[in-house]
Amino acid sequence: MGTKALYKVATIMSVSLLQKWSIIIFASLLGLILFILPVIASSIYSFQKPGGKGYTFVSYTWLLHQDGFFASMGTSLKLAVLAGILNIFLMVPTMVYLNLKGQKFKPLVDFICILPLVIPVVSLAIGAQNAMPSFLQNSQYELVFFFVVIGLPFTYRTLDNSLHAIALKTLVEASRSLGASWIRTIIRVILPAIRGGITGALFLTFALSIGEYTITSLLHWETFPTWTVVASQQNILGAIALSVFSFVGAIALLSTIAVFAKKGVQQVEVDR
Amino acid sequence: MEAVKAQSRLRSSSQNPGVLPLLPFFIFTGFFLLWPVVAVTLKSFKGNYNEWTLDNFRPIIHNGPYLHSFIVSVKLAFITASIGSVVGAFFAFVMVRYVRGRFRNVLDSIAAVFANSGGVPLAFMFIAAFGTNGLATKFIRFLGYDIYAGHFTIFSFTGVVLVYTFFQSPLMILVFQPAISGMRKEWREASTNLGASAATYWRRVGIPILLPPFIGAFFLLFAGGFSAYATARALTSGTVSIVPIVIGALVDGNTQASQANLGASLAVGMIAVALVVMIGYVWAQKRSTKWRQS
Amino acid sequence: MSKKDRVSSTLELRGVSRHFGPVKALDGLDLVVAPGELVALLGPSGCGKTTALRIVAGLEVATSGELLVNATRYNEVAANARDMGMVFQSYSLFPNLNVYENIEYGLRARKFDSIQRAKRVAQMLELVALESKAKSFPHQLSGGQQQRVALARALAIEPRVLLLDEPLSALDAQVRGQIREEIRRIQLELGITTLFVTHDQEEAMTIADRVGVMNHGKLEQIDKPITLYNSPATPFVALFVGLANRIPAEITGQGEAKVLNQKIKIFDSAEKFSDGAKVNLIIRPEALELVSESDNEATRGIVALKSFLGPMTKVGIAVEGAPLIHLNIASRDVRKLEIGDKIAFKISIDQVMAEHV
Repeated sequence: MGTKALYKVATIMSVSLLQKWSIIIFASLLGLILFILPVIASSIYSFQKPGGKGYTFVSYTWLLHQDGFFASMGTSLKLAVLAGILNIFLMVPTMVYLNLKGQKFKPLVDFICILPLVIPVVSLAIGAQNAMPSFLQNSQYELVFFFVVIGLPFTYRTLDNSLHAIALKTLVEASRSLGASWIRTIIRVILPAIRGGITGALFLTFALSIGEYTITSLLHWETFPTWTVVASQQNILGAIALSVFSFVGAIALLSTIAVFAKKGVQQVEVDR
Repeated sequence: MEAVKAQSRLRSSSQNPGVLPLLPFFIFTGFFLLWPVVAVTLKSFKGNYNEWTLDNFRPIIHNGPYLHSFIVSVKLAFITASIGSVVGAFFAFVMVRYVRGRFRNVLDSIAAVFANSGGVPLAFMFIAAFGTNGLATKFIRFLGYDIYAGHFTIFSFTGVVLVYTFFQSPLMILVFQPAISGMRKEWREASTNLGASAATYWRRVGIPILLPPFIGAFFLLFAGGFSAYATARALTSGTVSIVPIVIGALVDGNTQASQANLGASLAVGMIAVALVVMIGYVWAQKRSTKWRQS
Repeated sequence: MSKKDRVSSTLELRGVSRHFGPVKALDGLDLVVAPGELVALLGPSGCGKTTALRIVAGLEVATSGELLVNATRYNEVAANARDMGMVFQSYSLFPNLNVYENIEYGLRARKFDSIQRAKRVAQMLELVALESKAKSFPHQLSGGQQQRVALARALAIEPRVLLLDEPLSALDAQVRGQIREEIRRIQLELGITTLFVTHDQEEAMTIADRVGVMNHGKLEQIDKPITLYNSPATPFVALFVGLANRIPAEITGQGEAKVLNQKIKIFDSAEKFSDGAKVNLIIRPEALELVSESDNEATRGIVALKSFLGPMTKVGIAVEGAPLIHLNIASRDVRKLEIGDKIAFKISIDQVMAEHV
């Protein structure tokens, strides 16, 4: 297509090829500056030799050598795993029942699950201080419950979406009319069908718990994030290295998954 | 015989177990979500000797550091929501219009990571990038501008705004994309076919349809910017006085005992603001779906 | 705004093509729509019919060829300056505007004053019989009602040409017939030149003055519906427009073929058939008739299928060496026929169309 054609389209419909590419280039540049620049800058920074010229991996390994790294990491992992499990055991049956028989409770449950987004986590933390019985307040496992609570909005959304995506009622009716019991139906038919949603909810809760700072620090517990903040006061490079690592790592991981996922957003090509 | 068995199974399944299976959920959320909220609300109305009082709210209402912290919080939320919503809407538009296939998936995931970033790692990354000796700072200096020449530091209010925008914009992209995707190309084509210009289309159809979801998304961003704690804490170590930081300081016990319930009233104040914002959000959601086809 | 007040336009496409790289969505389309005529473009998905329509509307650009309206070249005219009314398949009404505002949209764009607009909108509402719904919003209307509003909106601007892109495809079967008749009635009443795109052959055949059958970007044949049915130009047209049997046969030379128990003549075609070539003969059910078993041209078979269609019954006969063969017989003649009965039939016409296997 010649240059004349480039402008020709402008007279016919909306955006010409020239306009289209200007927008794309501008958006890419802006995106680069706003989002990629900080990531790259901090990544390069993290490789710096402390107090001098040159580059090194030292900052990445520094944190590993600090007292409390493994302890706090272990605590975070432990709590995160427990939160994930609790979340699944609590929410999967709830959501399945909600969509099968308990439809009339749906608005109420939906509302309750939106609350953790509305109520500032800070406020929840203060409330926890005042509300929790002492045996809980003295145990770091109280965090597990709150991690699950904080994750409720996302868990609800994820499980609800995946339950909607399958023809739940039809599957259940088919299974039941073939003679299967409720338990069998749930285990053999429903759970496999929403496997994606369950994994998603598990992953979300886990990720959230590993990174949670607010409630943990306000309730004075030491997990990996809170330990990092304290430790970083001695060596900021180490903390930066860790932050970069987790951030870039998350991007790499999710991008890889996205590349191999289903085909993605297609537009119906106007080839009729 | 089998048919009869199956029939009776179907029949018994229709007996309604009611709310029973949902009890675990209600008990859990009742105890770990609702009860703390109630507890902190009650506490905010109680004095040092457990009497009912409004005293805890006085420091907030009267002009002083606590009122100031609310103002700063609202300012921060408003500014970052504004910037984030505009920037995010632009990117959302470009993505829906021009990006397809696997690459779109990848961009969406990256946006998700950015949107959920926040907290400690983000703060450190920005210190690395835009601190006094940060690489981005140096790079910009190399281009001719010294961002530290004025009063800017990454550890100030402006710095916090910068960092917040980093996750507000992607959040906007994620939240606003569906609204843009929902714009059918038939509308634009019909409008053109009927003789209207692009400007007319946007004025009469495009913007009226996109405005409610935009406002809804803005409220969402506002709520997030208002409630965020970890990022500001890690970034400024408490020098920027927003309400979560103030509460954190009170909790860390650097203050007198008589102010113990002040933390509660501040927390309740935050809940109140968040509730107002959510009402706005729900209203906007209703408006967004008003014209939706079944 | 009746027929006598309007000067109808002529629409012409000359050698119009649209390429997407190596893909030819449209390959040299020549078409003339006479003033006041309704031409239907019929074909399977991907045949290019919608591309052609969108090029006429200006929503897509032709890579070569000319578009003429009343002998004026329209290729460079902006899409919003073409004075054409288009009705889309679905969801084209502006959801935030009510029926009245939707219909007057084009009038406002043309800077009609409010009195003129009111008058015209009222006329349109009367035309599609939706006066009571003027204040309703699209999401409150049924599919059929929405399409009627879309039609009114397109006609409100008194377009030179009316373009319809599968307007009935998204509607329930019941409503489809009603709206189809309304569209035709209004089109005839206004005498407006119309191009109608569809993949449904019944739709095209009942509504149009002429039907153009398209395949792979090319126009295979354009004729009156009855001509298309009785004298299809190619096997594709024959099979697309109406039902047909494909019966295996062998060319015996001199334009003849041996099929079942008969010898029959073949129509000349672009494809040449060599002697002994294996072909399929394309034969409509009504070209076959039941005969007695003693007829020496008869083919014997077993009744495998019997479908009651009202006045006619479709009978499917299993014959050795051929797929199931369908005949349409008057229902009263086959009342006593059962599945499994022995039966005999033959081809009752002299000449048929052939295609390579």
